Amino acid sequence: MALDNLKGRVAWVFEDEDFDVDQIVGVKNIKIKDPVELGKLAMSAEDPEFAAKVRPGDLLIGNHNFGYGHPHYPPMIGMRQLGIGGVIAESFSPGYWRGEIAMGFPQVACPGVLAAVNRWDEIEIDWASSTFHNHTTGVSLPIEPLSDGDRLMLEAGGLVGYLHARDKEETVG
Amino acid sequence: MGYTIAEKILARVSENGAVRAGDEVLAKPDFVIAYDFPGYTDVIFKQMEEDFGIDKVAEPDRYALFIDHMVPAATTQEEELHQLTRDWGAKNKVPVYERKGIGHQVAAELGYATPGAFVVHFDGHISQLGTFGTLAIGVRRHLLEAFVKERIKFKVPETTRIDLTGTLQPGVTARDVFHHIVRVLGPRGCRGHVMELGGDTIDNMSLEGRQSINCLAMFTGAITALMNPDEKALTYMKERARLDIDPLFSDPDATYAARHEIDVSALEPIIVVPPSPADTRNLSEFAGTEVQVGYLGSCASGRVEDLEIAADVLEGHKVKDGFQLNVIPTSKEIMEVAAERGIISRLINAGAFISSSSCDYCFGRMGVMRAGQKAVSTGTLNVRGRMGSPDSEIYIVNAAAVAAAAIEGRIADPRPYLKG
Repeated sequence: MALDNLKGRVAWVFEDEDFDVDQIVGVKNIKIKDPVELGKLAMSAEDPEFAAKVRPGDLLIGNHNFGYGHPHYPPMIGMRQLGIGGVIAESFSPGYWRGEIAMGFPQVACPGVLAAVNRWDEIEIDWASSTFHNHTTGVSLPIEPLSDGDRLMLEAGGLVGYLHARDKEETVG
Repeated sequence: MGYTIAEKILARVSENGAVRAGDEVLAKPDFVIAYDFPGYTDVIFKQMEEDFGIDKVAEPDRYALFIDHMVPAATTQEEELHQLTRDWGAKNKVPVYERKGIGHQVAAELGYATPGAFVVHFDGHISQLGTFGTLAIGVRRHLLEAFVKERIKFKVPETTRIDLTGTLQPGVTARDVFHHIVRVLGPRGCRGHVMELGGDTIDNMSLEGRQSINCLAMFTGAITALMNPDEKALTYMKERARLDIDPLFSDPDATYAARHEIDVSALEPIIVVPPSPADTRNLSEFAGTEVQVGYLGSCASGRVEDLEIAADVLEGHKVKDGFQLNVIPTSKEIMEVAAERGIISRLINAGAFISSSSCDYCFGRMGVMRAGQKAVSTGTLNVRGRMGSPDSEIYIVNAAAVAAAAIEGRIADPRPYLKG
C-alpha cells in the first residue's frame, strides 16, 4: 500500500516556535468532544472565517517543535472535521507527533518549509520522492522520511488499522 | 563504541543482540501502566474487546492501573469511570491502585521502576521512573498497541547526555535545576531523545530531587529521562523491584547525540512565567508580583523534601490572610512519612490547606482559579487555563518559593526565610 500524496492549499501558517496546539481551539474548549463544534472553534479567535475558507485537503504549516507542551486531541479533531489533510512543520514535538500519527493524521517534518510558503499557496507532499512542492512558487524541499512504524500507521489509517495489519504478531489475549 | 542505557534496555526487551539509536525494534514492555481518564482507558478497554476480541490479558502482572485523577469522584460519571476500571482490573486480574497517590510516584513505590526495565504509559511524566534506571516512556495513544500486542514497534531513540556539576545554594532545589536545563538547552534541546543525566550534582541529590527532574523531561522535548542507577537508587529499589533483572548502565564510550555540562553552583531560585513551560527567568525578576493562590504538589514536586522545605520557610510565619495555600503530598506513603516527622502539622499550623494525594489540583479540577487570579505552583504546567480560568496565571516555582509567596502574598525569594 502506498500513501496518497497530500495536496492542497496552505490553510494556516503557525509561525510560533514550540507552538501549543491547544491554542487552536483555546484551552477553555479543550474538553469539548463534538467534532462539529471543535471545527467551528478552530482558529476562530485568529480568523473568524477560518472554517468557511478551508477546503478538504488543505494543509497546515508549523515552525520548530510544533505541538510542544501537553498537546490534547480536540484541536486536531476540529481541524480534521474541516477537512485539513495534514501538518507540515520544521520539526515536531514527539508527544504530539505520536498522538496524531496514531490517529492516522499525516505529519511531515520538512526543514525550511516555513520560509517556503505563504497562506493559500498550492502545495503537495510527494511521499514516493520524499519531496515537498510549492506549486505556487515552484519551490521544492526534501522531507524527512517516515519511520517504518509511522508509515504503516498512516497507510492503515491509524492505530487500530495498523494493529489489525500486524496480524503476524501474537496477540495478548 | 559502547551503548547507552536506553539502547541496552531496548536490546534486552526486543531480544536483539544489540540495538543502536535509529533501529526500529519490536519491544516487549515489562510493564504497561495507565491511569483511568475519560477517552483513554475506557476507550482502550472497549477497543480491545470490540476491535480485537480480547476479553482477558494473558500476563496480568505486566499491567497496572492507577485511579489518581478525579479522586474523590465529584460526579456520577467520574465514579462510573472508576468502577469500569475496577471491574476491568478484576476481570483481567490486573492490579488497580486507588487512593495510594499519584500513579507516577506510586509506580516507583510499588517497584514498577525496576532498574533495567522498559515501561510504557500514555502520560509522559512517567519519565520519572528513569531515576531508577528504568526506561519509562509516555507513548500516548500507542498505548493501545501495548494492551493489544505483546510487543510494540519502537524506534530506538538517540540520547542526549547532560552532566550537572556544582553544589546547589540553600533554597535552590531540583525543580530549579530542571527549569535551568530548559533555559540553557531550550524547549527542544533534547527533542525526540532520551535525556540522560549525571554528574556530581545528581550524585549528591536525593532520589526525590532526581524524580522531580526526570518527571519534567518532556519540556526539553525529550521522550523520557534516564539516570544510571547508583547505590542510592538500587538500595531503594532492592526491596521493591518487581522483576529480578540485572540493572543496566551506559558504557563510558556510549554514543550520544550531544553532550552538555551545566554548572549549577551559581543557580538562583527560578520562576517559569506563564503561559509557556519554557519561559524560564530568575525569580528575583518577578519578586513583588501579587499572587493569591499557592499549589504545592503534583507528580513533579510534592515529596517529603518539598513539604519539608516549605515547612521550614513557613516556620514562625503564617499564610497571609486571603491567600489559598493548597498542599497535596504526592502519595499516601509520602503523606505518612511527612506526618510522622511532624511536617504536616507544621504546615497546618502555618495555615496551609492539606489534602490527600490526587492529580486534581494540577489540572484545574480542584482548587480552581477565577479570572484575574495568579498562582505560584509546583505543578507541571503553566499554560493558560491549566488551573481554572484561561484568564488566570500560573507561575512555576520551587516548593520553598511557594511557601515564601504564601507568607507575603506576592512572589518572594525564599532564601531569607531559610537563614537560621
